[in-house]
Amino acid sequence: MAKIIVVTSGKGGVGKTTSAAAIATGLALRGKKTVVIDFDVGLRNLDLIMGCERRVVYDLVNVIQGEAGLNQALIRDKRVDNLHILPASQTRDKDALTLEGVEKVLETLNQDFDFIICDSPAGIERGAQLAMYFADAAIVVTNPEVSSVRDSDRILGLLASKTRRAERGEDPIEEHLLITRYNPGRVDLGDMLNLEDIREILAIDLLGLIPESEAVLRASNQGVPVTHDDDSDAGQAYADTVARLLGEEVPLRFHEYQKKSLLSRMFGGTRR
Amino acid sequence: MSLNVDRDSMAFTFKGGMLPMTVMELTSADPERIREQLASKLSQSPAFFQHTPVVLNVEKLDEPHLALERICAVCRAHKLLPVAVRGGPDPVKQSAWALGLGWFPPQEVSRPRPLESVVADGDAAEHEPAPPSESPESTSEPVLPDAPPGTTAGGRIYRGTVRSGQQVTAPEGDLVVVGAVNAGAEVLAAGSVHVYGALRGRALAGIHGDAQVGIFCRELHAELLSVAGNYKRLEDIDPRLLGTTVQVRLSDDQLGITPLS
Repeated sequence: MAKIIVVTSGKGGVGKTTSAAAIATGLALRGKKTVVIDFDVGLRNLDLIMGCERRVVYDLVNVIQGEAGLNQALIRDKRVDNLHILPASQTRDKDALTLEGVEKVLETLNQDFDFIICDSPAGIERGAQLAMYFADAAIVVTNPEVSSVRDSDRILGLLASKTRRAERGEDPIEEHLLITRYNPGRVDLGDMLNLEDIREILAIDLLGLIPESEAVLRASNQGVPVTHDDDSDAGQAYADTVARLLGEEVPLRFHEYQKKSLLSRMFGGTRR
Repeated sequence: MSLNVDRDSMAFTFKGGMLPMTVMELTSADPERIREQLASKLSQSPAFFQHTPVVLNVEKLDEPHLALERICAVCRAHKLLPVAVRGGPDPVKQSAWALGLGWFPPQEVSRPRPLESVVADGDAAEHEPAPPSESPESTSEPVLPDAPPGTTAGGRIYRGTVRSGQQVTAPEGDLVVVGAVNAGAEVLAAGSVHVYGALRGRALAGIHGDAQVGIFCRELHAELLSVAGNYKRLEDIDPRLLGTTVQVRLSDDQLGITPLS
């Protein structure tokens, strides 16, 4: 039985795809059989972040419409054995997805994988609702910014009512908060919301905190999930996040502003 | 499959709603007397008679057979549209149905029910069926579908965070929220609104016009506060009160916010 996790946010551009790729990679590195599905039909990005865009032949929509088998569409990751990617279609729109089709794909994947990560599109419409509908857990990606927090709040409301678990009256979906693009220096200056304010408003458990980092942008453009960059702060933060997702207790890092010492300023420092 | 996800392919959705409704409480079953009174009312306030939908309340009549068809004709002649009948014995119910009208059960005086109810409906704004109305006002009252299980006749207790986009309503009594009301959320009550947490969204008390009720919250950041239609926006609130524990009450048509200590 696989655990189905949706990575969602409401707002666009907060780091859903980056986080889905990094967390899926982290789970696979920990030996879990993982598949990450791009639900953003029409705005396909996950394949770029995962660095497999040149190997896409069939996609989720082809599978749902019976034009290809699931095994034909799944792309095996080149770096980690246990990781597969199911890309979205770039030429279709979100109406090409059906609830029955998604259910069938997830049921098939359920037999072979430990984790199914669903990378949700932005918004609260059909595409986002299909991505979350069958989930057992949700990772709500939030930036330290008021509009992002409000949209996450809205998504949490939908998770509590518009998912299969909610409609069937089963145990509620697990809700996890992942704060990305956190810059402790700017938080101290009052430019960004601080961690405690976000936690207080959203009132859900904090799964991880990813600092704003050059490593994330570099990773995206190189098509290598940032989890592989284990020297970087963001890479380590995602590794911590994955460990917490697997039930381990890991202390929070990167949430306090570290003044650079004289020596590190002279020699360039090691934090990247 | 899901009612909510496949919305595009559906012809309609059922939603609970509260609509203001004029109830015509009949004290006479004589169509002629009704006609006379309607005619004099029509000359006084013609604006009221604009094909206004009305519910005929026949509870006060003690007649097993009512000239319902003639009463309806009199109403229609005076530009009132009877849409339903409330109360009355079985023959009245049958003839209402025969005339294509709805039938509502009579108002009950009071129903003993458990005090607490928790309905954790997530996106309440979109699929909340409202409980039945038992408000005593005779001229204007909402017409409502049956109550969902777990809702009391009076107040309502909601446990958890009311999130952006959600609406939690207590259409008859007080609303108690054990948790925060976030920005973009709305809480409404016929009675008072109590929030045992931060109030960041909108709170409306006394939605049927009761001016004696209030809003009470642990931490005030409300976008909007309203008691019986008198409101204050966040901008109108004294900044020194923000973040404090307060009560909001109406005195001389002015919304007063005072610290609760």
